[in-house]
Amino acid sequence: MTTLLQGDPTEGHTSRAFDSALAELRLSVVAMGGLVVDQVAAAARALLSADMDAARLVLDREDRVNRFEQRVDHDAFQLIALHQPVAGDLRMARAISRATVEFERAGDESKKIARFALRLGEGEPQGPVVAVARYLRHMADLSVDMLRDAVRALDESDAAMAFTVELRDAELDREFQAALRQILTLVMEDQRYLKTTIDTVLALKGLERIGDHAKNVAEQVRFMLSGENVRHPMLQRDG
Amino acid sequence: MMDSTNTVRPAEGAGSVTDSRGRLGVTMDDTRKARRIDVKAAVEGLNFFYGQNQALKNLSMLIADKQVTALIGPSGCGKSTFLRCFNRMHDLQPDTRYEGSIMLHPENINLIGKHVDPIEVRMRIGMVFQKPNPFPKSVFENVAYGLRLRGVRNRALLAEEVEKALRNAAIWDEVKDRLQDSALALSGGQMQRLCIARALATRPEILLFDEPTSALDPIATARIEELISTLRDQVTVLIVTHNMQQAARVSDYTAFMYLGELIEFDEAAKIFTNPSKKATEDYITGRYG
Repeated sequence: MTTLLQGDPTEGHTSRAFDSALAELRLSVVAMGGLVVDQVAAAARALLSADMDAARLVLDREDRVNRFEQRVDHDAFQLIALHQPVAGDLRMARAISRATVEFERAGDESKKIARFALRLGEGEPQGPVVAVARYLRHMADLSVDMLRDAVRALDESDAAMAFTVELRDAELDREFQAALRQILTLVMEDQRYLKTTIDTVLALKGLERIGDHAKNVAEQVRFMLSGENVRHPMLQRDG
Repeated sequence: MMDSTNTVRPAEGAGSVTDSRGRLGVTMDDTRKARRIDVKAAVEGLNFFYGQNQALKNLSMLIADKQVTALIGPSGCGKSTFLRCFNRMHDLQPDTRYEGSIMLHPENINLIGKHVDPIEVRMRIGMVFQKPNPFPKSVFENVAYGLRLRGVRNRALLAEEVEKALRNAAIWDEVKDRLQDSALALSGGQMQRLCIARALATRPEILLFDEPTSALDPIATARIEELISTLRDQVTVLIVTHNMQQAARVSDYTAFMYLGELIEFDEAAKIFTNPSKKATEDYITGRYG
């Protein structure tokens, strides 16, 4: 076949404005993802190490996460309206737009965990948290790792890394179920701390959800790179 | 349920994707029902030369019946040259040469065959050009022209066919009270729709559009695009366009050409969301240097 490319595609689009809009969008969502990873890590630290400064930091920065979401959403919308991206560019714009929503929700979960940590610091009984501390710690580590790798996969266009994020979600789910069983046993033995028990379950669920958000971002990254929709494989098979 | 083996995927080895009944494959209509798509024309090993200069290189692809196929590619890639092969427009120029075949289904007539009369071909394959080119005659006579050429003399029949063509070209309401006015008094968009009506009047099997909206404003463009979408019920459409979004909006299938070669041919939705070839992606996303 005849040589096809007159220019080097790595040099970007003929329209430099489009190039910089796309690059800026990508940088913004990666920065937002990085902030949310920090939020989740700080919320977990607040809960597990009774670090009230960390809890307050999470709540202070929540507003920044929301503003990030608004900005990236606005910029992605503008990019679609003004540049009408197609193919890989369109998939990237969509992946970024969706990733932003996932990051914002993960940020919300970290906010709830931080608030719970503050209540514990103010004297709410710690029993249920101590009882599942091992699970909380493991789930926090897992969800932070998954979220961090999802951000990296998005930043570095790494489909293999995105796939590992999706695979780890099952482990997080298993840990959540095990923690629930543990906490159920506790409730059956001692009903004094029902409110804290419910809060603890919500914190566990929050970490499990953060893993889901990381997985969703990873799926978007794979769609962005391959054009193949990898969500809900059972549905795809059934046509 | 859709059988993936029957899906229209002309990208690989275009020209050999028909099923056992010579059909192009299966597509999903708006109600998600599987619908078979027949082949209207099969291009096989098409080469075209302007003198020594080879403008088309071994093109093979299938044109789906009653669907819109768009040809895209940078200037000089051969898309207009390709389009003009279908109605033998090149025969009007000296020192041009075709090789290969464009078989018109279902009769299997080779449109570029030496023994096939180009006038006969043009009776069956209509064309609409970049700039509207109505005859300096009345609106009515423009549309009636082709019918008169075919020997239609009955005035009532002529009037009926002219109205039908004008309605099909979505211009009847605008011209019904000025059928005897000069066609040249119409707006650009109206003139172009009149030219489409003129082409439709003789009931062509394939309608060729060579950048039909490049001389029109956005509103007139939208009306033509809407018209093309409705035309697919009655005629096979082949359209050359420089406007990528237009190809995405109006076509069912899209072929990307470069330097006289067919690079990729697939469903438009596939081409514009996830093309198979890097060259296609680079072109449609605006990465050509």
